[in-house]
Amino acid sequence: MSHLSLQQITKQFGAVNVLHGIDLEVRDGEFVVFVGPSGCGKSTLLRIIAGLEASNAGEIRLDGRVVNDVSAADRGLAMVFQSYALYPHMSVRQNLAFGLENSRMPKAEIEARVMEAARMLLIEPLLHRKPGQLSGGQRQRVAIGRAIVRRPGIFLLDEPLSNLDAELRVVMRAELAALHKRLAATMIYVTHDQTEAMTLADRIVVLRDGRVEQVGSPLELYNRPANRFVAGFIGSPRMNFVEASVTPAGLDVGGRRHPVSDINLAPGASITLGVRPHEVDIADVDDGTLALEISLVEQLGAETVIHGKTHLGTSFTLTAPGQGRFAVGDRIGIALPSEVHVFDETGSSVPRSGV
Amino acid sequence: MSVASETQSQALSGVVAAPLHFLMGALNAPMVFIQKRFGIGGMGAVFLAPNMLIFSIFVLVPVAINFAYSFSGGMAIFFGERHFVGFEQYQTLLTCADYTQPATCREDAFWQSIHNTVFFVVVQVTVLVLVALVTALVLNREMRSRGFWRAVFFFPVLLSPVVVGLIWKWILQRDGLLNAILVEYGLERTLWLAERNWAMFWAIFVSVWAHLGFYALILLAGLQAIPRDLYEAAMMDGTRAFRTFWRITLPLLWPNLLVVITLVLIRAVQIFDEAYVLTGGGPGTSTLFITQYIYETGFAHVLRNLGLASAASMLMGLVLVGLTLLQLMASSRRNREGRA
Repeated sequence: MSHLSLQQITKQFGAVNVLHGIDLEVRDGEFVVFVGPSGCGKSTLLRIIAGLEASNAGEIRLDGRVVNDVSAADRGLAMVFQSYALYPHMSVRQNLAFGLENSRMPKAEIEARVMEAARMLLIEPLLHRKPGQLSGGQRQRVAIGRAIVRRPGIFLLDEPLSNLDAELRVVMRAELAALHKRLAATMIYVTHDQTEAMTLADRIVVLRDGRVEQVGSPLELYNRPANRFVAGFIGSPRMNFVEASVTPAGLDVGGRRHPVSDINLAPGASITLGVRPHEVDIADVDDGTLALEISLVEQLGAETVIHGKTHLGTSFTLTAPGQGRFAVGDRIGIALPSEVHVFDETGSSVPRSGV
Repeated sequence: MSVASETQSQALSGVVAAPLHFLMGALNAPMVFIQKRFGIGGMGAVFLAPNMLIFSIFVLVPVAINFAYSFSGGMAIFFGERHFVGFEQYQTLLTCADYTQPATCREDAFWQSIHNTVFFVVVQVTVLVLVALVTALVLNREMRSRGFWRAVFFFPVLLSPVVVGLIWKWILQRDGLLNAILVEYGLERTLWLAERNWAMFWAIFVSVWAHLGFYALILLAGLQAIPRDLYEAAMMDGTRAFRTFWRITLPLLWPNLLVVITLVLIRAVQIFDEAYVLTGGGPGTSTLFITQYIYETGFAHVLRNLGLASAASMLMGLVLVGLTLLQLMASSRRNREGRA
């Protein structure tokens, strides 16, 4: 287990700034997930921590020691690559043992560690096979095994499940969570999949355009997003956004009134309301805060996901429990809850006195 | 895409498409007939037929003629005017008191050329493969003007072997560029092409220089096909540079290396043009190689001995077939291991 501290990490590729002064603390035994859209710098940040990429400025500390100039091998970290990066000409056993052989560890110790990892990951029968003879899930286990045998201070995982099919991804996700618990290891995990982030993380770091947008536990991010970006990124189906303006009597939503009074903004201010799809109620088309014309109905069995266009012309998604009878072209009303998220014109969350 | 360039590309595709449509329409009836006649299974053979015909005319037929000539004797060119001598030509070539001493052989020039060729092959193949590998490794690194350096190494490949021979002859002859430079610096002139050891050295050097770029390019392609992730994984595994090369690069480059070794080997056994222009086989017979021996025996000597040259060709052909089989065996073993 190791403790990691990043201070003002910046990275440029030519004239392009990829990371703009990242500060972050990762505590012993913590499972931290970097999440964000493609190109947000999450993989670059992971590679800088690994020592595969040098930062242009800033300090990386592992257990209090500055490691900026320490080579990748000497940082005591292990990485699981998106492509698994297994050596194709070596057997699974050789893949697992290769790193240990480099450190001139006694053969008996290497064998013991390889067998321990193989037992833990249920890959004992595969030890003599080559990566080309393994399925995606098996390769994934070997890649994790290669990291485990090194007993690293921190496990770095770069989108390790993205090459697996949906079903296997769910299985491996659960296995990773169990492995983290069992090893009590510090893990840093990169993904663009918010479901993976929500289900695995102790803390999530949301990145956008090389900046940290918010750091917090999954539910903190879900319940109290710092801005519109985080609110839209965390949660599935994603949060709906509705333009509104503040009036002395509440909120004006495209000519309809929504009675919310605890917003600390002056009348006339333009705001954006954030509403999660399951937080709304269905009402008569004339009674709701929004009128919605249904364009798509997804029946998932336990719930129904309804997509449509509001009277403001914006897209809106809501979920209704059970197997509702809705048809494309139907017009319904949407009653917004009083507990809506409010964002100002810059996209930042507006604190509400009642929340 | 702008409207103008879209219109242009539409016009261009029209120009290309119209004759193609016409051609496909014209071919339709004969293709239907051929398919009916030979069936779907026979279509492969139909498409291969033109190539096989050309291959037969220019490769198989000459090999067969060569084989027949190797059992004939006399000075006549036309086969009908030659007489059957059985294995006499082979006997002449292979009769030797001591195979390590060409002078003790009935056809001493043939054995001298074999000795020279074996020496040339062993040294040239080793040096060329190693230098091509090192060049590819260097050109594969992140460096300034990488494209320029790749072009520099590849440029000699574009030259005709005769031009290569002439350029180096101009540099190495008695009054050549190299000696002029040496004299300029107060050093003594050396007879680079007239001393046995130097002549062989330069024959090997020029051959390596001329072909290096081509093989380096094949190896470079192999190096670039190795995923970068593997090197990063090796780095995380604490692998030192030499061990990375030995355990990661070399095994993954091996299929390309095997192709290169075989091609270099086959071409080295066939060495002729640039060495012939450069040294003419001399001094004496010190750079006489097997192909030159065959050429001179069959065509250049006043007494053309086509039978002996044909027999030597057949023996050389057998060696080349053996080398090719070795390569095929090695690569198929490699493929089996890759799958296993």
